[in-house]
Amino acid sequence: MELVLAFLCLLSFISLVLSVPGHHHGDNSTHHHDYCVLGAGPAGLQMGYFLSRSQRDYIILERNAGPGSFFQKYPRHRKLISINKIYTGRQNKEFNLRHDWNSLLSDRPDLLFQRVSRDLYPEADTYPLYLSMFESELGLKVKYRTDVGRIRASDLAGNKSYILTDQHGTDYKCRVLLVSTGLWVPEQVDFVGSDLVEGYESVSTDPEEYKDQAVLILGKGNSAFETAQSILGRASRIHLYSPSPVRLAWQTHYVGDLRAVNNELLDTYQLKSLDGLVEGGLEDIAIVRRRREEGKMRTGKKRPATSSDRKEQFYLTLSELLDGHDGNKGANITAENLPGYHDDNFSLRQPYDRVIRCLGFRFNFTIFDGLARLPHSTCARGRLPAVTAWYEGRGTSNLFILGTAAHSRDYRTSAGGFIHGFRYTVRAVHKVLEQRYHNNAWPATRLSTSQLLSWILKRVNEASGPYQMFGVLGDIILLQGAHCEYLEEFPVQALPHFSALSGRRISEHGLLVVVMQYGLNHTNTLGPGRAESEWTKAWKSNFLHPVIYYYPTLPTEKDMRQRPVGWPLPRPNAVHHMVEDFLTEWDQPISHSQPLRRFLEYCLKTDLRAFYAESCFRLSLTNHKPPLFCRQGYLNKEGFVGNSHLWQHAREAGLMPAHQGSVIPADDGLFSEYLPHAGAAVTSTIDFDL
Amino acid sequence: MCGISAVALLLCFISAQCGSPDASRLVEHTAQSFRDAVLSGKTSFIYFGKHVNPAIKAFIEQLEMSAHALEDYGIVVGKVNCSKDSVEKYCTGEEVMKKTYLFRGADVLRSFDIDTVFDVNAIVSHVLFSVLFTEVRYVHTPAELLAVERAAKGKMDIVMGHIQVLGLPEHRALMEAAFVYGAKYQFVQTTGAPLLKHLGVADPTSVQARLWFLHCRGVAHRSEPCPHTLMRKPLTTINIHTFLQLMEAPLLTEAAVDPDEVKVVYNHLNVPLLFLFTQSETLQLDRDTAESVARRLRGEVGVVLIHRDSHRVKTPLKHNAAYRLPQEEVRYFSLKKVEELIDLFREQLFQGTEEEEEEEEEEEEEEQDDRWSSLDVLDDEVAESVYRDRGVMLDTEAVTKLTAETFSAAVTQNGLMVVLFYVKWDAVCVAFLQSYVEVDDALDDVSGIELAYVDCGEWTVVCSDQNITSFPSVLLYRPSEVPQRYRGMLGTGSLHRFLLLSQVPSPTSLSSSAEVLSFLEGDLYNTNSALSPVRVLGLYSPADTDVVVFEEAAKSLRGETLLGLFVHEEAERWAEEHSVTLPALLVSRGPGILREAHSLHSSTPQELISYIQSTTLDPFGSNSCWTVSSRGLSRVCSSTTCFGALTAGHWRRGVSLPTRAPPAGRDHRPVAEENRRWPGAACRCGLRCRVGSPCALLRLPGCYGRRSAWVRGSAEP
Repeated sequence: MELVLAFLCLLSFISLVLSVPGHHHGDNSTHHHDYCVLGAGPAGLQMGYFLSRSQRDYIILERNAGPGSFFQKYPRHRKLISINKIYTGRQNKEFNLRHDWNSLLSDRPDLLFQRVSRDLYPEADTYPLYLSMFESELGLKVKYRTDVGRIRASDLAGNKSYILTDQHGTDYKCRVLLVSTGLWVPEQVDFVGSDLVEGYESVSTDPEEYKDQAVLILGKGNSAFETAQSILGRASRIHLYSPSPVRLAWQTHYVGDLRAVNNELLDTYQLKSLDGLVEGGLEDIAIVRRRREEGKMRTGKKRPATSSDRKEQFYLTLSELLDGHDGNKGANITAENLPGYHDDNFSLRQPYDRVIRCLGFRFNFTIFDGLARLPHSTCARGRLPAVTAWYEGRGTSNLFILGTAAHSRDYRTSAGGFIHGFRYTVRAVHKVLEQRYHNNAWPATRLSTSQLLSWILKRVNEASGPYQMFGVLGDIILLQGAHCEYLEEFPVQALPHFSALSGRRISEHGLLVVVMQYGLNHTNTLGPGRAESEWTKAWKSNFLHPVIYYYPTLPTEKDMRQRPVGWPLPRPNAVHHMVEDFLTEWDQPISHSQPLRRFLEYCLKTDLRAFYAESCFRLSLTNHKPPLFCRQGYLNKEGFVGNSHLWQHAREAGLMPAHQGSVIPADDGLFSEYLPHAGAAVTSTIDFDL
Repeated sequence: MCGISAVALLLCFISAQCGSPDASRLVEHTAQSFRDAVLSGKTSFIYFGKHVNPAIKAFIEQLEMSAHALEDYGIVVGKVNCSKDSVEKYCTGEEVMKKTYLFRGADVLRSFDIDTVFDVNAIVSHVLFSVLFTEVRYVHTPAELLAVERAAKGKMDIVMGHIQVLGLPEHRALMEAAFVYGAKYQFVQTTGAPLLKHLGVADPTSVQARLWFLHCRGVAHRSEPCPHTLMRKPLTTINIHTFLQLMEAPLLTEAAVDPDEVKVVYNHLNVPLLFLFTQSETLQLDRDTAESVARRLRGEVGVVLIHRDSHRVKTPLKHNAAYRLPQEEVRYFSLKKVEELIDLFREQLFQGTEEEEEEEEEEEEEEQDDRWSSLDVLDDEVAESVYRDRGVMLDTEAVTKLTAETFSAAVTQNGLMVVLFYVKWDAVCVAFLQSYVEVDDALDDVSGIELAYVDCGEWTVVCSDQNITSFPSVLLYRPSEVPQRYRGMLGTGSLHRFLLLSQVPSPTSLSSSAEVLSFLEGDLYNTNSALSPVRVLGLYSPADTDVVVFEEAAKSLRGETLLGLFVHEEAERWAEEHSVTLPALLVSRGPGILREAHSLHSSTPQELISYIQSTTLDPFGSNSCWTVSSRGLSRVCSSTTCFGALTAGHWRRGVSLPTRAPPAGRDHRPVAEENRRWPGAACRCGLRCRVGSPCALLRLPGCYGRRSAWVRGSAEP
C-alpha cells in the first residue's frame, strides 16, 4: 500500500480514536475498508470490477438479496429499451460495445449481456440475472442484505472519510465512498388530489383491468408511454399530461427521451384514435373525484344504483377553480369547479377512470447526514445530487457518485445516466481514484508522433467510450514533440484539473482532445439536407462525428465556464471536425485521413506525410530536418521501401521525382537488386588509417 | 448657377453629417430658454429626457449629429433635461422618456418616438418630411398619383421617390432634395407597391429605393400622360441632384466642333457623353435618331449631335459615333444600330464595373472551388499510390489471416511465425502488405517460416495484447520465446533477408576449432553467405559467466547478423592468434579477407548489441549505402562519382546539405556508428561507384576515413 493510503490510514485511525466515545452501536462491530461501494446495481458492480482488478480493499454493500434489484420491478412492463445488438457484422469487441447497451466492462470477452438474452429489447428479468453472473464470475465482494440507513462523514484536516451504518447498527468506515444507489424514489408533484393518483411503481400491469377505461397519465417520458402502450388495446381513451411537449429520442439524440419503441401512442394520437397529448403545468392542477350521475338533473325517480353509477370518476381541474374546496370530498364538487364549465371546449373536460403518475425517479438524499449531506443539482428539478466533473460530490471530498445518480453532468445531453454511458464514467472515476490514492497515473499509450494519425483513426473508428459518452468523455493527446501520450476517455469537463486528476504533465507542445459530437444546428432529423457529405463542410455535420480540439495550454476553469453554449469544451486554438459518416467509418483517405493529417500538421507544425525510403533518402540529403516520418523510420533504418509498382503511381501523380540522370535499367525482380549484391566484393580497398 | 450652389449646400450637409460633433449645435434648453425658443416661432426639434441609459445615450449622440445637419435647414435641435428643469406637459413622470417633439412656434407639428428617429438619417428625413408636409405629397395608389399629375400638368414637373422604409439614408436624400428643389418641382413620396406596377416596375417586391422624374410641365393636353424617366443610380443626395440637373438640360445638344472640344452642361456633372455625327444630307434623320436615343438614355447620358460639315470637325469618316466617359478620353466607334448604343451604355459601360466585380467574385468562387478541389488531391506519395490501387484487390490468400481465435494457436506452433499487424486506413500498412505478400511468395519453398497478418481494425484485442502501438509492425514468434520485433527496413528485400538469416540459430554454438574455421570462412551455413558475408564469433573461456550476456545479445540480433559462439579451452588460442584477450569478438567479412578482432568489455546485452552492430557495419560507406539507402543510392550512383552526382548538384541548386558539427568531445566517434545513426552520411563524403556496382570510398578533403565521417562545408571537391 502506497504512502497516500498509509497516511489516510493514519488519519482515519486518529479519527476513529476521536470518534469512539459516545458512538458505540448495538453490535459494536466496525468494518474498515478503503473503498465502500453503495449499491450492487450495474454501476456498483462495474466499480467493484475495477477495484477488484486493481486489488483494492473494497466492499459493495447492497440492501437487497441480489444485484440490480431495481430491475426486478422496473420497468413495470418488463421490456428493457437498451439496445442489445448482437450482430454488427464486425468482430471488433470494442466497436461492438457501441451497439451493446447492457453489458458491463470487463476483461472477459464472453461476459457480455448477449449470453443471457438474444432479444434486441430484452426481458427485464434477464438483467439481474446478468448482474449475478457478472458478480459471481468475477468474484466481486458484495455484502447483500446490508441496508445502509445513515451515512456520516468525519472530517479530519479537510480529509473526509465516511461512516455507514446498516440496519443492524454495524458501522462501515470507508476512506472513499462510492455511491451507486441509482434513482429509485418515485418522483411526486404536490397538487390538490395528488393522493387520488396511482403511481407507476404500483399501478396494475394487466391490460384487462383497463378495459373501456379512460386513463389520464401524468408524464410524457418513457415510463408514461410504456404504460400507455401496454393498455392501448384495452383502455378507451388515454391522455398524457405534463408541462413539456414530448421529446423524441430520435430527434434529440438523447436516449432518455421518448424512444420509438414506446411511441405507439403517437400514432393513435395523430391518427385521431381517441388518445392524446396535452401540455400543462402540474403544480396548479387538481384531480377531483365526482360521482358520475352528479350534475344531472334529478328527475325524482330513484333508480337502483348500478355498479357504474356507484363508480366515481376523476376530473382534472385547476386548483384555482376549487374555491378553497378540499377537492377530496367528491360530494362538494360542482360543475363550476370544473374547467369545462368555463371553457366549453377544454381538452380534458371528460372524466377519467384512472389517473396514473409516471414522472420518473429521484435520488434518495435522506440517508446522508451532516457533513455527508449532498447538495442538489440545479438540473432535473433537483432530483440528482450535484457532482464535480470527475463525479465527486460537491463539498463531499472522497465521496463519489456513480451511475444514474451522476447524470447531472450530462442530463438530457449524453448517456451518463444509462448503463451504456456510465460504465465508462465509472472506469474514468476509477482511474481518478488510482491516481489520487495510489499514485498510479492515468494509463497512457506512448506513440511516435508519426503514428498519431493512424492511432486517432483507430480510436474514432472503434472506441466505444467516447462514442457512447459523446461530448463528455474524450481522448487526450499530450503532444511532446517526436512522441505523444495518448490518454483514453478523460472527462473533458475536468480538463482544468487535468494534471492533478491524471498525474500527467502538459508539455509546451500542448494537447489535443478528441471527442464525439452531434452537430449543434438543429435540423429536421429526417428532412433533406440532414447529412453533410462534403469534408470541406465537415463543421456542419449534424450526426455524431469526431471533433478534435487543439489547446497549447490547458483551458482554465474560467474558460470552461465561459465556453460557448452547447460546446463540450471552450473555444480552442484550432478545431477539426471529421465529416459525419453514414457508416460511422472514418477511414477514407481523401475525406477523413488527409484532412485530419493536415489539421495535425497545423497543430504540430510539422510534416506528417509518409515517404518511401527513396524520398527519405533524397529529403535527408536536401533538408536540414527531413520529415518526421523519415526521421522516425528511414533514419532509424526502419524506412518504408515500397515497390516499383507503387513508385510508378507516385511518380505519375507527380509526388516523387522521376529518375534523374541516366536511368538504371529497371530490374524487374525486386530481389535481383538487393540480394546478390553481396556477391560483389564489398570491401573497400582503401586504407582508412590515415 | 442656383444648381451649383445647391450642390455646394448639399455637399456641406454631407460633410456636416460626418463631421466631428465637437462644436455641438445641440441646444441645451432650460425651461426658460425653451419657452423663448418656442415663442420665437422657429422650427425646433426637442428631446425631453431624464434618465440616460445606453440606448438614450446613443440617441443623444445621433441627435447631436442631426443638429449639425438640420441647422442648415433652419431647424434648431435641442434637448431639455427634465431632471433639472421640468417643462410642463412634455416632461412626463417616466424614468426613461422616449419622445421627441417637433415644434413650429408653440405648436407641436409632430411627436416622434425615439425608436422611429433612431439615427441621424432617420431624424433628418422624418423632421424634413414633417416640415415639408404640405409640399411633399404622399401618395399610395395610382389614382392618387394621377390626381397629382393632373394638377401639375403644364405647370410643374414631378419628382417621385419610392422609399421602401422611412428613415433610411435614401429617405433623407429625397427629403433634402425636396427641401432644396421643393419650389421648383412637385415632390411626391410613396412607399406602396401598387404605384411601382403603375410605373412599369416588373418586380415590385425589390426593396430598392427609386426615383422618377415625371415630365408634366411640357404636357399641354390634359388627356396626355406625363412621360417619366427613371433614375438608374442609387438614391443619394448627389445623384438626385445630378439627375435633376440632367432633367433640366436640353435633350439634345448640337455642336460643330470635335468631341474633345465640346463644352456642355454635362461636363461638370460627371456624366458620360455620346457624340453622334451628322452631315447636312442626313441632318433631319440623324437628329430624329439622336433625339430618340437621347430620350432613352435620358438622365444617364448626355447626347451631342455634331455637324461634320464644319471645318473644325476632323473626325475621320469611318467613325460615325463616339463617347466619352467622365475623366476619360474620347473613344470613337462605328454605329450600325441604335440598339447597340443602348446596349453599349446600359450593359457594358455602366454595368461594366459591376460586372467585372461579379466576375471577380465568380472567379474567386471558382478559385475557392479550385482550392477545395486541389485539397481533394492526396499529397502524400504513399497514400496516393495506394489510393490509385483502390480498384485492385491484393491477392493475400497465400498469407494466413489470423483472428482472435486462431492467433494464440498460430504463434505457439513449431517453427517461425511471422505476423504483420496492420490497419487498413494506414497507407503504409496497405502498401507494405504488397511487399509482405512478395516475401511470402519468395519464401514459398523455405520450410519452417510462415507468414500471417492481423487486421488490428478488427481484432483490436489481439493487437493490444501484443502491445502494438505502431502500424505496420512485424513480430516474429518462436515457440516458448519472447516475440521479436522486426526492426529493419520495411521492404521486400530487407525482410526476406532478415527472415532467411533468422533461420540460423543465434548464437550458433560451435564445438570445435574446425567448426569455428568453417563458420568464419563461410562454409557453415553457406547458403546464407550470399545474404550476409559478415560473421561474428564470440570467444569465451568455459569459465566465463558473461556468456549469457552474449547469448542474450545474439538472440536480439538474430536475423541481422550471423553470430557464432565458441565456449572452449581452445578459444584462448584463437584470441592469441588475433592478439586479443578473452572474451573477444572475431568479425569475418568473407573468406580471404582479414578478420577483425576485438576484446569485449560490455557488461549488458544492450551494450554488447550496439557494439556488435557497430563492428559489423561495413567499413565506411560501402554496404551501408546499399542496405540503407538502397535504391535511392543505386540510382544516384549512375554517374561515376557519387559526390558529383549528389552533392554538387544540390549545391548548385542552392540547397544546403545537412551538415552536423561533431558533438563536443566526440571527435572520435567511429564512422560505423555514425552511419547507423545517419545512413546518408557516408555517401555525402564522396563515393566512387560504377553503375550497378556497390560504392567505394573516394578519398576527398574533409573525409577522414573511419575516424571522422563528418561532412563539412568544405568537403566539396
